[in-house]
Amino acid sequence: MFYNLVTNIMKETKLGDFEETLLLIVGILDEDAYAFKIAEEFETQLDRAVSIGAVHSTLKRLGDKGFLTSEMGEPTAERGGRRKRIYSITGAGQRALEVSRDIKLSLWSQFPAFGNLKFNVG
Amino acid sequence: MKPPKSAVRFLIFFLKQELQEEVLGDLEEQFHLNVKRGSLLKAKFKYWLQVLNYLRPFAVKNFSTPQIYTPMIKHNFKVSYRTLLKNKMYSLINIGGLAIGLTVSLFIGLWIHDEYSYNQNHEHYDQIVQVMRKDITPDQIYVNTSLTGGIGVELAEKYPNYFKHIAMTFFRSESQLLIKEENIYKEMGYFFQSDITHILTLEMVEGTREALQNPSNIIISESLAEKIFGNKRAIGETLSLNSDTELIVQGIYEDLPDNSTFGDAGFFASQALFYNEQNPYVWDNYNMRIYAQLQPNIDVSEASSVIKDLMVPYRDVDDDPRELFLLPMKDWYLNSEFANGVRVTSQQVEFIRLFGIIGIFILLIACINFMNLNTAQFQKRGKEVGVRKTMGSLRGQVASQFLMESFLYSIGAFIISLLLLYLFLPSFNDFAGKEIGFEWKNPLFWASGIGLSLLVAVLAGSYPAIFLSSFNPIEAIKGKLNKGGKSERFRQILVVFQFTISIVLIIGTITIHQQINYAKDRPVGYQQDRLVTLTGSSELYRNRDVLRMELINSGVIEDVAFANYPLNNTLGNNDGFRLPGAMNDLPVTFNTVFVSPEYGETTKWELVEGRSFSRERGDESSSIIVSESAVEGMGLDNPIGQEIIASSSFNGDRLTIIGVVKDMIKGSPFQKPVPLMLFSTTNPLRYMFIRIKPGIPLSNGIAEIRETFKEVVPSHPFEYDFADDQYLTKFRSEERIGTLATLFSGLAILISCLGLFGLSAFMVTQRIKEIGIRKVLGASIVNLWLLLSKDFGRLVVSACLIAIPISYYYIEKWLQNYEYHIPIYWWMFVIGIASCILVTMLTVSYHSIKASLANPVESLKSE
Repeated sequence: MFYNLVTNIMKETKLGDFEETLLLIVGILDEDAYAFKIAEEFETQLDRAVSIGAVHSTLKRLGDKGFLTSEMGEPTAERGGRRKRIYSITGAGQRALEVSRDIKLSLWSQFPAFGNLKFNVG
Repeated sequence: MKPPKSAVRFLIFFLKQELQEEVLGDLEEQFHLNVKRGSLLKAKFKYWLQVLNYLRPFAVKNFSTPQIYTPMIKHNFKVSYRTLLKNKMYSLINIGGLAIGLTVSLFIGLWIHDEYSYNQNHEHYDQIVQVMRKDITPDQIYVNTSLTGGIGVELAEKYPNYFKHIAMTFFRSESQLLIKEENIYKEMGYFFQSDITHILTLEMVEGTREALQNPSNIIISESLAEKIFGNKRAIGETLSLNSDTELIVQGIYEDLPDNSTFGDAGFFASQALFYNEQNPYVWDNYNMRIYAQLQPNIDVSEASSVIKDLMVPYRDVDDDPRELFLLPMKDWYLNSEFANGVRVTSQQVEFIRLFGIIGIFILLIACINFMNLNTAQFQKRGKEVGVRKTMGSLRGQVASQFLMESFLYSIGAFIISLLLLYLFLPSFNDFAGKEIGFEWKNPLFWASGIGLSLLVAVLAGSYPAIFLSSFNPIEAIKGKLNKGGKSERFRQILVVFQFTISIVLIIGTITIHQQINYAKDRPVGYQQDRLVTLTGSSELYRNRDVLRMELINSGVIEDVAFANYPLNNTLGNNDGFRLPGAMNDLPVTFNTVFVSPEYGETTKWELVEGRSFSRERGDESSSIIVSESAVEGMGLDNPIGQEIIASSSFNGDRLTIIGVVKDMIKGSPFQKPVPLMLFSTTNPLRYMFIRIKPGIPLSNGIAEIRETFKEVVPSHPFEYDFADDQYLTKFRSEERIGTLATLFSGLAILISCLGLFGLSAFMVTQRIKEIGIRKVLGASIVNLWLLLSKDFGRLVVSACLIAIPISYYYIEKWLQNYEYHIPIYWWMFVIGIASCILVTMLTVSYHSIKASLANPVESLKSE
């Protein structure tokens, strides 16, 4: 009950920090974006431990929000012949990432310490 | 290299089915990577960590509610419904049997509920008590409710901290005549001290609860007010009580419910009517019953211990001690039987238990029908189970299908039983002597009714569900199920169980009826027919001799007599009689009755020795007539002329026995006769007996008596009873058990036979080809009938063998309750068993004879 309530509220397309990072990693990994690989990538990129369960649960949430879709991929031997679930970013996910980046850039540009700096971001 | 098994198993246990493949894959991939990177142990440890990290709401199975798929329920419902329609006969037997069983249980439930809610209508139910007396004699402790007036006065004066209200009434209560102009109403009423209205919290429709403080007032029930006064205003009107006293109606109260101690009351009037003094402060006359309401914070045992020795100062030191105690209202009806001073299980509670058990058994019999008919069809349903399982049904799902069926049946049965309940409630009330209403609005009724039917569904449905869902699908579809043997034996045991109960009930019923008839045929020691009894009034006492002469002169009357007690009770008991020269009193309590000299001629008692009283001999106050059991009790060989010395209550008279009569059964016809001692007097006596001459039609006789009464005692209300009618009322409670037992045993055998009917039909259809072949080969109808019926016959016979010792045990126990009872006749068992076998063989033979008569071509041409 409580869980449903929380997810309903969070469905409002806002991206949390962890969610944003995972979304980006999914984009980076592309064809290889499944829960275990995402967790590995997270750990190497951010140097922070994370459990597959935590990643999986966030991926599920992102899927519910419509930022990710997924489908089952090919089975491999090291997985005991089991298939993996490959995630990919949707249009909505893409837009959410862009909105988030734009807000942050706009904030950064107003930050006095960096006021005279110019970023060249495409 | 494999991940730790236990961790995998745990993960599979809690993880949602649809996530298992990807998660197991991810974790295993990581595990292998970890193994490569470091130690195996570390990898295993990490695996465990990952598994535990999956204990998240999104991943964990929903354990609380099993996965319910509405389409599946719909499907199950549809299949159940179709099965129900497909086998119309079985369905009818099942639902009919269950409905009868449920109806019986509901009736019994309502009855028990009614018994336990006795008196609960009173607001101060928990605080109302009756004062009781314990007589402690050297060999017995007697518990009694009759008390002296002094006790009530003293309780009120000395213990106001314990008792909020005290109300005394006369020990003996009987119907009174209320007269309004021409109309006479015979009504039960109580003469109480004024506080009774507060104790019972009578709801006053008109007037106040203080009305009885004036002895010339009377308060009447709402229904009586309507009966007497119709729509007219009753308050302020006068009523004549027994044509002796004029009373003013000063209050109308809401009728007390039937299941309360004073529910029979039509009116309450003041006790002071019969007492000239305001306070009946006496200590030697035990003619009161005392009721009280405790103060709010006092409990019964506390108050009981305080008043225990209240009588001590008023009794001689060498008298047997008498103690008082309080009986709380909750025990009045169901728990007020004492044996030797200790409370024992009352007969009422035993009835409740007995009928409760019978109700459960009848419901069980109906459930057994359901089980047997369902499991017997295992071949047919086996294919269905096989197909379901092949399509991927789990055993639980198949079982739930069968349970669903039994729910459908029991709900159907419940609806039918509600209808039956509604239809038969009036007749049930009639012979149970109750006024139970159909409690539509009582949630408890619905909760227990629906609960009961759900229980039945589970009880009846669980065995078939477990049994039928256990089939191996391949065997089931091939039709090679050989589960028959074991379940067959179980079915047979159940059938034997059903019939054992039915037979025990039948034999019990026969015994009850025998016992009642035996007591009814018991010689009562006088002639009951053509004997009219009535209660006198002061006008009648004044004119009694004239009345008697006029009645005799009318030509339809043989004789007229009076007595101080009626013929249908044993009130008036005395001990303290002694034989001359003896040191001790006789160990006999006599029923002492004063009678007019014509008592013997009027009642036509049977004189064994000596002579009757006679008016011509003048004063015979020291002559007595005793009954045979009195002679036996005194141990006299030649009773005539024997002198007896009476104690103080008879003024130390020397009495002489002038006659001995056969015992007169005035009390319970099921008990030993009470030793009788009769005194002759010509003083006014309360009860009048008139014997109508033989050959005169009773209606003419009554009309003649009524005429004479109108002439001689015009204001006396002529209200009469016949002695034989009065006597028959003594059998009412036994006859009630008899009727109920007949009904229940009839229903039990009916439901059992319904089941057997279904089973035999089923068995015959199964063997229809065999019968055909046998017939072609020359088997006769008798051969076939024997072949098909003998299995069932065997079951019923074994049921009989089991039933005999069980019923013998209970019959013997039941008959022990009656001092005057039949011996256990062997033919009662024979009749019970024979009738049961006859009925069952008829039931079974229907199908077997039908099959034997059928043309074998019909059954053999197919296939």
